[in-house]
Amino acid sequence: MKRPPPSLLARKTSKDRLIGLYRYMRKDYMLYLMILPGIAYILIFKYWPMYGISIAFRDFSIFKGYADAPWVGLRNFVTLFGKAGFIRALKNNIIISVLKLIMGFPFPIILSLMINELSNMKYKKLIQTSVILPNFVSWVVINGLLYAILSPSSGAIQGLLAAFGYDGKFPNLMTDKSNFRMVIVLSHIWKGAGMGTIVYLAAIAGIDREQYEAAAIDGAGRLSQMWHITLASLRSTIVILLIFRVGEMMYAGFDQIFAISNPLVISVADIIDTYVYTIGLEQRNFMLATAAGLFQSFIGLMLVLITNAIANRIEPDSSLMNFAKRK
Amino acid sequence: MNKKTAPEIFGLSLNTILLFIFAFSTTYPFWHVIMYSISDSRAAMSGGLFFIPRDPTLLAYRMLFKTKLIFIVYRNTIIRTVAGTGLSVLLSSLTAYPLSLARFKGRSFFSLMIFFTMLFSGGMIPTYLVVKNLGLLNSLWALILPGAMSAYNMFILRNFFQSIPNSLEESALLDGANPLQVLFRIILPLSAPALAAIAMFYGVGNWNSYLDGVLYINDANKQILQVYLRTMLGTAGAKGVLGDISGNLSDASSLTEETMKMVTITVSVIPVLIVYPFLQKYYTKGILIGSVKG
Repeated sequence: MKRPPPSLLARKTSKDRLIGLYRYMRKDYMLYLMILPGIAYILIFKYWPMYGISIAFRDFSIFKGYADAPWVGLRNFVTLFGKAGFIRALKNNIIISVLKLIMGFPFPIILSLMINELSNMKYKKLIQTSVILPNFVSWVVINGLLYAILSPSSGAIQGLLAAFGYDGKFPNLMTDKSNFRMVIVLSHIWKGAGMGTIVYLAAIAGIDREQYEAAAIDGAGRLSQMWHITLASLRSTIVILLIFRVGEMMYAGFDQIFAISNPLVISVADIIDTYVYTIGLEQRNFMLATAAGLFQSFIGLMLVLITNAIANRIEPDSSLMNFAKRK
Repeated sequence: MNKKTAPEIFGLSLNTILLFIFAFSTTYPFWHVIMYSISDSRAAMSGGLFFIPRDPTLLAYRMLFKTKLIFIVYRNTIIRTVAGTGLSVLLSSLTAYPLSLARFKGRSFFSLMIFFTMLFSGGMIPTYLVVKNLGLLNSLWALILPGAMSAYNMFILRNFFQSIPNSLEESALLDGANPLQVLFRIILPLSAPALAAIAMFYGVGNWNSYLDGVLYINDANKQILQVYLRTMLGTAGAKGVLGDISGNLSDASSLTEETMKMVTITVSVIPVLIVYPFLQKYYTKGILIGSVKG
């Protein structure tokens, strides 16, 4: 290839840059062919729906399509916030998320510390294998298990109580409004606990054994070792995971609640996602449903951005952004 | 080890006992359902713990397999799981490889574009409308395509690819291999643990997914196992199946709805239990590959 005159080298025009890019792409065209299906997928199934969000700001009808849907500004949002059902869903969403966070977040940490104290390796393996099991089944199956255990007619608990001579009826927790949120929170904790221990146990495995030996020589008991060494070493992992959990607060568990709730308890269990489903796909009010969904995604995005910025401050390598950008 | 004090021994024993109680709570319900499903309906009706079946019988299974629908939903679930997982792993690998190369122009643009979908989504209704506009409603494609690539899994794979030494790739390129050959002959064989992990993520996700069945499938012949189970767990569902069966067979009258529910749960959970040892191993590894600490 001939070298261009120096005057041109000094000033690379945008046209030259385009030509350079073109040459590069011709050389490595196969890489672009390889990434094409993935990008097409992302455009069709991720970005096209984002364009569809405009329904939230239009007077949209499925029969007319986008072209004939006039813009109406924030009218749909005003209507939405006037709906008692939406306010109820928002409230339930926050209550359930907060309960899951407060009660659920510490549990895998405690469980990991407990598992770590087991000195019998066989027990350790057995316990770890057992507690992860519920993570691998769907919420529909869990709903079936809850029924099998809690059913007041033929459930395990009712039969057990009867066997001990209790002749009363065990309350049906699945249809009881005052207890159902606890069922949601506890089944969530129960299902995810084992999976939650993986990261903590791996972090614990990385702690230098010598620290414990030194502490033992200094007379530190097991509890004090657990507190000052194990838990202290987990601190940054805990903080980071906590921050990410807060970032997911707008998502209260659609999969779970859609599977285990029923009309009798819907007033305490209806969250934004289930509300979107009901008004969107059952009542076919696409505008309000999209507006509700957008409200959720938007607040969710803000939360993730804020929590990630915080995570990045605390531990520069930890943010989601870094996970995607690495190297 | 140094000597343990009495309170320590007490604490450790209590710890062991509590752990076993929790482990019992996560495993017993599965056992319970399976034992209940092979018990005689009348004997099982009183509930309680089932360590062994009561008056074992496979009647309920014979009845369930008399219905055609269970085979249809099973087949659909297997198809979507196998095809969906295969497609997802392929798509993720093809996307992850160019993004793992420093020389690939546009990698930060494409990465950012994909990353953004992890933070923000169009939501349920706009996605539903896209699936509808593409004419995918009531077809198995609606269960396979919309979730064909998870950005998270793709990035796990890309990070793994980046950890493979460049020299291997360069020497293959010098030998005249093209990028596709490099990916399939060099990179993928070296990425077996990461591939196994994301295949597990996709496979379990496909098998357990039910919302897409509820959203996109109306036709019973296209329905999937989890949605079938969901219908069955509702009172109307089990009654309906029982009604269908007892129309044909007189001995079905002794079956209760409860037994039919337990049988359906068992049938949908058995495949997961069979592959559980693999699942646990590779899943755990995958979580660590993709964990915050990297």
